[in-house]
Order: sequence, then structure tokens, then C-alpha cells
Amino acid sequence: MNATQGILSAAIGGLLVMGLVGNAAAADMKMEKCYGVAKAGKNDCGSKAAGHACAGQASKNSDANDFVAVPAGTCDKLANGSTEPAGAMMMKK
Amino acid sequence: MTHWTHTLAQFSSVIRNGADFAPGEIICPNYSVARGVEVYRNNYRGNLHDTLAGAYPVMRLLVGEDFFRVLAKCFIEQHPSRSGNLHRYGGEMAAFLTHFERTRHLPYLPDMARLEWAYHHAYFADDLPPFDLSRLASVAPDSYGDLLWKLHPGCTLLTSDYPLSQLWLAHQAGVPDAFDINMNEGGEHVLVHRNEEGVELIHIAPASCHWLLRLQRGLPMGVATEATISDYPDFDLATALRHYLAQGVLVGFDIAGEEG
Repeated sequence: MNATQGILSAAIGGLLVMGLVGNAAAADMKMEKCYGVAKAGKNDCGSKAAGHACAGQASKNSDANDFVAVPAGTCDKLANGSTEPAGAMMMKK
Repeated sequence: MTHWTHTLAQFSSVIRNGADFAPGEIICPNYSVARGVEVYRNNYRGNLHDTLAGAYPVMRLLVGEDFFRVLAKCFIEQHPSRSGNLHRYGGEMAAFLTHFERTRHLPYLPDMARLEWAYHHAYFADDLPPFDLSRLASVAPDSYGDLLWKLHPGCTLLTSDYPLSQLWLAHQAGVPDAFDINMNEGGEHVLVHRNEEGVELIHIAPASCHWLLRLQRGLPMGVATEATISDYPDFDLATALRHYLAQGVLVGFDIAGEEG
């Protein structure tokens, strides 16, 4: 634990001297900023996103394709994204 | 109280499971009762579907809107809404998917659900004041090893066998609709966190992930750091500590053995 104590003291000592501002993203951190997007809230009845909640217009069940539906979005575009050959899901039905 | 609890439970059962109700038990002014119940039921499902679509937009694109509707329906049947706040609905999606036969051939899907829930969680997490460095100055150096760092409750650390953040990024608006992603090209450690800029997905080094996870589990800094250095001898504590304090990932501390 002595070696660790030295590392802790050096790290916190340096922090107290230099503060938080400075070269935080050192090269060896391998940090990569990705992306962020705004999200739409869902709690507001009046919002466009949640209009369905209060409008009362959905009187029919729209689940007719339950038993034939298979994932058919962008997942088909990925290399090595599936553990089954294409079409295998269809043949099971 | 008991009467109302019973009535509400019964109505919930009618809406959720299609349970029978006695004549006169439900009054519906504008339609036949059966049709009124159907409208209510479809709005209940439709509302939760929209909520799930809001929390899991990438997953929805991956499987397609039609299949997502089917998937959401199965999820909603198993998971009633338990909060008046719809933003809390849907957190069990990753666990649900690990048992969902119809997407079993897409093994990365539960990890994507984890990532999207982490994003959702970070987005709606409460703000916390920035860390006050002067608190650290008052700690005796002998106690540094006993520091119990607190991570921001809105941040999540994820480890996946798949290039998750690359997959996520390819599905964001404004990104060209071109996929050149090989799901076998290796996994990654991702930190999902909100700062002043908004929610960010950050690739982090395995050593940083190792260290932060141990702090998150409540290990004192001495023990956590020793374990990380033992697995990753190049781990740079000074840089990591400063970086995650500056980013607002580490938000405060207690000292082991002292009253918080």
C-alpha cells in the first residue's frame, strides 16, 4: 500500500496545486468525444410527441402482422451482425 | 381506500389483460362499453409504445418500425407502467431482449438497449453542483486511500463486445446514411454522461473503466487504484482523477470510517 499511497499523494497534491483547469485530456487517456442529441420529452400530454396519449383516436388494434414480422431495419446492413444466415427466421415460421 | 384500490386493480386488469368486467361495472358515455375499453386499451398501449420509441430510437431503426411495434407490444404485456412519470418507463428492455426469441440472432441488441437507456437516464438525471476542490484540501494525506468517490448518479459505464457507439452514431440524424460497420471488429468501453454540452458517449480506456467501476461499487480510492494498477500498470491516476473531476463524473466523496 506504500507505493499506492505515494501515487495517491502525488495525484491529489498535484490537483490541489494546479486546480482542475489545465491539460485534462492527456494523450494517454485515449478519450474520444462522440455525439449527443436532444431528446423529446414524453410526459406532456399537449406535446406533438405524446399527442397519441390523450387524443383517443386509436380504436383499432394495429398489431395484425405480429406473427410474420421479423426485424427488418438497418440491422440488415451490418457486417457480421447476425448469428443466423439471412432468411433463417422466415423459414422457422 | 380498500374499495378504490380494488376497483383500480380490477380496471387495470381489464385494460392490461383483457379481463372480464360485470355489466354496469364500467360506464362509457359515448360508445358501447366494449368499444370504450378497446379505445382505452389501445391508447394505453400506444402511449407506452411511443414512450419506448422515444427511449430506444436506434433500436427502432435497427429492427424497423413494424417489428418494433411487435416487440414493444410484447414488452408492454410483461411490464406495466409503475410510475406516473413516463420517463421512467422501459428500463427493463435490455433484460427483456436477452430472453426475446425473435431477436436472438441479433446478439448486440441488448447492449444497444443498455446504451440507449443509459443515454435516456443521463438526459433526465438531476444536475449537481460542480465539485468543490477546497473540500479535498481539508483531507489529511493519510486518508487519501480511504476516499470513497461518488460518481454522478446519471452516468453509466458500459462494456460491450461490439462497436456500440459507432453503431449508435451511424443512426443519428445528420449522419450520412452509409453503414460500414463490422460487428466483429471488437468491443469497447463507453461512458455515458451529461455535461453542460448535453449527453455524451465517450470511449474510455479499459484502465479508466476498471477504476471508475470500482469506485462506483463503493471501493475506497486506495484499494481501487491498487487493483487497477495491478491489471493496468500504465494507469495514470493523476490524469484520470483530474479529468473525471473536471468532467463532473466524480461529484463528491465520503471518507471510509467517518460519518458522511
